[in-house]
Amino acid sequence: MSRARDFADLAGSANAGGITGRNLIINGAMKVAQRGTSATASSGYHTVDRFQLAVINMDNAAYTYVQSSVAPTGFSTSWRIDCTDEESALAADEYSTFTQAIEAQNLQQISNGSSAAKSLTLSFYVKSNKTGTWGLNLYKPDNTGRQITATYTISSADTWEYKTITFAGDTAGGGIADDNGAGMYVYWALAAGSDYTSSDSTSWSNYSNAGFLYGHNVNFFDSTANDWAVTGVQLEIGSGPATPFEHEDIGTTLAKCQRYYFKIVSTSTADAFAVGQNNTTLRADGSLGFPVTMRASPTAIETTGTATDYLINTSGNSYTCNAVPSFIRANSQTPYFRFPVASGLTTGYGAMLRAAVAGAYLAWSAEL
Amino acid sequence: MSYLVLDTEEGVVIYSDGARSCIGIDTEFQAWLRENKDSLPNDIQAKIDAGTLTIADAD
Repeated sequence: MSRARDFADLAGSANAGGITGRNLIINGAMKVAQRGTSATASSGYHTVDRFQLAVINMDNAAYTYVQSSVAPTGFSTSWRIDCTDEESALAADEYSTFTQAIEAQNLQQISNGSSAAKSLTLSFYVKSNKTGTWGLNLYKPDNTGRQITATYTISSADTWEYKTITFAGDTAGGGIADDNGAGMYVYWALAAGSDYTSSDSTSWSNYSNAGFLYGHNVNFFDSTANDWAVTGVQLEIGSGPATPFEHEDIGTTLAKCQRYYFKIVSTSTADAFAVGQNNTTLRADGSLGFPVTMRASPTAIETTGTATDYLINTSGNSYTCNAVPSFIRANSQTPYFRFPVASGLTTGYGAMLRAAVAGAYLAWSAEL
Repeated sequence: MSYLVLDTEEGVVIYSDGARSCIGIDTEFQAWLRENKDSLPNDIQAKIDAGTLTIADAD
């Protein structure tokens, strides 16, 4: 192919959504995992940034999920879940999904809810021991909740397969607000009880539980032999074919992730989190600047849960905390937090708010 | 895991589960309130009874 052809294709890509920055998914290569690289038995955000697992109403299923180094050619990481206890009889109200929520103001260019609504093409690499028909859902919550579903087939067990699915644009439903809320959710189904599969939702329609995971025909949790892994996730404007996965530099991906979650972790016993001031003899308060303006003001601070992981340096002495650091307030650019000690601080003195061990951390979330 | 009232700062109540602390509108705290609304710790139930803490409906 000539260079002229290459440039023509690039121009076409720009018209469709950009030569770079065309992936509406953040961290699609599963490279950033600020919270940790493994988790067990809890729904929510726990491993790779921006993606969350939901396991709803299941009473027996147990599982672990990890940022895995097993990945297809050209990738170094994936997200993988392993079933460790069976949910062999799936009840009607039980389901499980892997999800990313996309911020609404990042979706204005898809013209959702108008006659100019654009198609979206989802592509990803997937691997599982379990062949069969798996479900996907795009859900738009703003104004009238709308959804569209599709399926993909895993044909070969334990083999990375590349999937690409195009969803038509939605011309109805009132569109997506231009704000910092959730504009669209992308769901990969892992299991779906009959309450969620009975209504054909393969065209855009108003949300109903019955259509949520239409077509999904696999119970991932029916055997402890089961695993499912995904990476290279890309959602882009256009009716396909999907363009190759847009590999970003790690700094760009990390900064995108830090809009939604920021974790500062000590790598030694001497790392500082922030400077502060002794407000009383029992506490020092501190602040820092988030590296990226967060999506919204965090409402909590996360710690290790061990008070002695934290200490204060002030007036030439070290004071180990007697309780973990606590939230005071935060806005989207800076948090304000407290390090408590049993006694001994000199009010008004400056203080270094520090880790006492490697692996101590402070974290703030503004996730969708 | 259970939350308790940790502190009050400038009229804002801080809640803690021992590892994370938060204000009353925190999404994770609110989910915990909904799950445990029939058996909340006394100090948190007192905030609800006083009207200074509200359990929001799930999205």
